[in-house]
This record gives sequence, structure tokens and C-alpha cells, in this order.
Amino acid sequence: MPLGAVIEKELRMFFRYPLRVFSAVLVGIVFLLQFVFFGQAVLGGRYSQLLASSTGIGDYPTYALIGYVLWWLSVSPMEAYVWGIRRELQRGTFETSVAAPIRITELLLGLALSWLLMDSVLMMVVFVFGVLIFHISLSLPVVLKSLPVLLLSFLSFLGFGLIFAGLVMMFKNIGPFAQIFEFSMLFFSGVFFPLNVMPRGVVLFSQIFPLTHSVTAIRAIFTGKTYAEVLPSISWLLILVLFYWITGYALFRWAEKTTRVMGYGGY
Amino acid sequence: MHAIDVRELRKSYPKKIPLPFRKVEWIEAVKGISFRVRKGELFGLLGPNGAGKTTTIKILTTLLEPSGGSAEVLGYDIRKDAREIRKRINLVAEGERTLYWRLSAYENLKYFARIYYVPKNEEKERIEQLLRLVGLWERRNDLVMNYSRGMKQRLAIAKALINDPEVLFLDEPTLGLDVQSAVFVREFIRKLVDEQKKTVLLTTHYMAEAEELCDRIAIIDHGKIIALDTPSGLKRLVKGEDAVQIRVRDLSFQGIKSLPWKLVIVKEDAERGTVTLRGHVSEEDLPKVVESLVKTGAKILSVEQKEPTLEDVFIKLTGRALRD
Repeated sequence: MPLGAVIEKELRMFFRYPLRVFSAVLVGIVFLLQFVFFGQAVLGGRYSQLLASSTGIGDYPTYALIGYVLWWLSVSPMEAYVWGIRRELQRGTFETSVAAPIRITELLLGLALSWLLMDSVLMMVVFVFGVLIFHISLSLPVVLKSLPVLLLSFLSFLGFGLIFAGLVMMFKNIGPFAQIFEFSMLFFSGVFFPLNVMPRGVVLFSQIFPLTHSVTAIRAIFTGKTYAEVLPSISWLLILVLFYWITGYALFRWAEKTTRVMGYGGY
Repeated sequence: MHAIDVRELRKSYPKKIPLPFRKVEWIEAVKGISFRVRKGELFGLLGPNGAGKTTTIKILTTLLEPSGGSAEVLGYDIRKDAREIRKRINLVAEGERTLYWRLSAYENLKYFARIYYVPKNEEKERIEQLLRLVGLWERRNDLVMNYSRGMKQRLAIAKALINDPEVLFLDEPTLGLDVQSAVFVREFIRKLVDEQKKTVLLTTHYMAEAEELCDRIAIIDHGKIIALDTPSGLKRLVKGEDAVQIRVRDLSFQGIKSLPWKLVIVKEDAERGTVTLRGHVSEEDLPKVVESLVKTGAKILSVEQKEPTLEDVFIKLTGRALRD
């Protein structure tokens, strides 16, 4: 299966270098520690009444850990397209793969899925580390209950990332542009602080990011809420899945057409 | 039906990304070329860098959209039937970075076998057969990054055969290779045509390679085909004209421009400070040429009469050496 071949190839290249894997895990952990300790320092402890009343989770490490892991996963497909395709363009391998009968959408989806898979493994390690180091109480049913929402979130993240797939083929180096979005999501999606402390306009703007709804839904599930209670966030995610996949695909097709006029290669 | 049928093919590149409402200037790289390649033929596109060879290959392999004209590969339209064409062809692109260096040879071929839809039950056997064919079976588990340039190119050729293509496109297949590897690649390409009856379209700027390998050659310059024939047919264009090769030192470049004979520089050896000139000079004129060169301050190192080659054909047709 061609999609499987792309994923296998990416995983092989990533896990071939243990140092690279170790460094990725280390970076993930260091950033988490920084954010959690910074948050605690500002709050004056690990518990916040403001957080509890606005999000249902008053324990800052739990709050930040969920937000941080989901943020990392949300930018994964975007990073796959922006840096993954760029790397292939630089290597000169992109054209070799595009010349094959595999559909280009399948090729790119394989790339995004493999990065999402790698980041999921990475974030699993970071999550377990966070749970242990901050003594976060966690139960298996809660984790299992959050999985369908997580899968729906993945779908929306993949659609959101697709917008960047076309752009990178056309413009080649859009890393800095993509980083604006990555950090906007960190800021606007309530990853490290509740959105209700922000101006109303910003809160409204934050609704366009799938991460906002993903974080809200999963945090709510962690506090014991039912799917029915998180239906608004799930509905938002479903709408955004459709919106970003359709918009992303249309933009990608246009970009691909333009790229075929200019050429895939050339870095 | 021809394997490749190209009619008035044109390609222009935009100077900037052609966004809507943006006025963009276009550079014409291929200017209405036409040719046909028969099944089982080894056809060469010979020309200097920037002549439009790679652009032509990219259009025919459906990687680039042509600006005008039409082309069919194995009867399929390059605009409408890109996927059908891709299933039946393969390509060795120019440059050494067309494979994954952080994968082994075996892993590379496995990846390409899958994205070329090679049946799963044939995959293992096909990969082994190809790796043995290019002499890399013993090194199959080594990462490609540890291969020499020649080994990488052999692997690139094995990759290009993974889907048992009917038509093979080779873009400068021996560029940058050492002599031994280049010989291997040339012999291998010829065998593919003679024994496996593959159709091959190759681009090169090495005249000897084109002459040695190709059944027919199209000489391409500035996006146009300026001659198309068999190597011997092309050389007939300069039949009866004496090709003279003169090696000199301290050549005044301005000096040779003022000479009434068409002499072009075919080789420069910066280390030794020597320049090799080539042109068509009759026996009677030869002493005058030598005398004129000496007058410009050049020291004559050797004067040789040569059999006409494709280089002479190119010089005759364009007034320049292929190296320009």
C-alpha cells in the first residue's frame, strides 16, 4: 500500500538515529517543564481558583500538560508539510516521488500521518513523564474516553495542515510564515491560560483553531464530563474538520496546478 | 504508434510565482520542438546546459505542464493521462540526490516498488534481481549515504527499472561519474535497449556519449531542435570538411575573434594555461591560421587533423562549441 510505504519510510528515517529521537523527547520535556514552572510561579502555586472556575481544572500542571501535548500534536501535520516537504525539496527526492503513479495527495497524507504518529509517540513519553513528575492523578477510563475526541482532533489538525501543503510546494520556504500560526495557536487556543481572560474579540477569533475546541473537550473529559456535555466543542471540531479539509484541498489543488507550471524542484 | 510523439511542444517559465492579478514575465525554455521516438529506440537529446533538455524530459514525464503544443507517451496524452503514463515509464533525474540517503539500497527500492504499485508478490524478487543486475546486492543493507557517486547512480537506475517501464527517461545519466562508472552506465543503458527492448530517451551534453549510445540524436539549442538524425547522418553534415584541432598557450581571446576562420574553444586547461581550438580549415588555409594565431601572441603546442565528430556538427550549426 503506497500510503503505508510513505509512513514506513519516514518512520525508518526518524528512528534510525537514536540521538535524534532522544533530542526530540528532551526538547519536549524541557519545554513542558518551563511552561509548567513558569505558570506555577505566576499563580503562586499549582492550584488556581480562576482556572477551576473557568475550565473545570484548577490544577495547573494537569491543565498545562493537556494543552501542551495537544498543541504539539496540532502543529505536527503543519510541520510535516512545511518542513517535511521542504526537506524533500532540498534533498531532491520530492520530484522522484511525485514522478511515481502514487497520488500526490496520498504522498503528502502519508508524510503528515507519519509525523503525527512520531509526534504521538513522542508526546506519549512526555505525557507519562508529566504525569509522573507532577503527580497527576489519571485513570484509564478517562484516557480511553478521550481517545475518540483525540482522533477527531487529529482529523481537524490534518485538514488545517493541508492548507500549508500547497503553499510550501509553491513558495518552497514558508517556515517562518507557518511559525506565526504555530505560536498563534499556542497563544489563542487556551493552551497555558484560560481564554476567558482575553478580550472578547480574541475569544471569537480563537474559535477558528481546531486546537481551541480539542483542548476544551479533552480537559472537560478529564474532569469527568460526558460526551453530551462537551457536544459544543465536538460540534465545532466536526465543522472545522469539514471546513479545513475542503478549503485545504481546494487550495492544495490550485497550488499544485501552479507548481506544475513552475516545476516541483528547484531549491 | 510511436513510444513518444512530440508536436510543437513549448514551455515558458514564469520569472515569479504566477499568482492571480500579478503581472509576470515569462522565459521561453522550449520553443516548439517536434520529434518522434520509435519503440525500442535509444533516442538522445544533445545540447549545452540550458538548451531545454531537462525541461523537455520533465514535460514528458508529466512533472511539468507544457505551455503549448502536445505530446503523447505510449499513446497517452501528457496533459490528460498523467497517471497512466507514470505507471508505464520511469525516470533517472539529474543529480545524485534523487534517492533517500538515510535508507539502504533495499529500503529505497522497497519504497519505490510500493509507490509504483509493483505487485506485492513480485516485490522481493524484483528488488533482488535489480540489485544483482546493478552489482549492489552485496551492499543492499548499507545506507545510500555511504555509497560512492557511481554506486548511487547505479541504484538510481535500478530504481528506474522497478516498475519494469516501457519507456525510460534518463537525464544526464553519466554526469559527474568517474570513467569506470560512466562506462558501466553506458553499457547498461545500451543493454536495456538491445536485450530488454526498452525505449530510452536520454539527455546529455557529452557528444561521445550521444554518438556511442544513441540510435538517433536531436541536437537542441536555445529551446529548438536544430538537427535530428542518426549519429552518422548528423556527421554527414560536415562530411568533406576538415576538422582541425589546435592546442595553444597564451591565447588572446580578442585575437581569435578577428580571424576570418571559425575557430571555437572546445577545451580550456587553466592549470596548464592551454586552450584547445577546433574548426573547419582547409589544408591550404592551415598555415595561414597558424601564422595568424602566432601573430596574436599565441604559442602553438600542437596542430591535428581530426575525424569530424558531433562537436563539429554543433559548431557548424551554431557557431559555438557545445561547452558554451
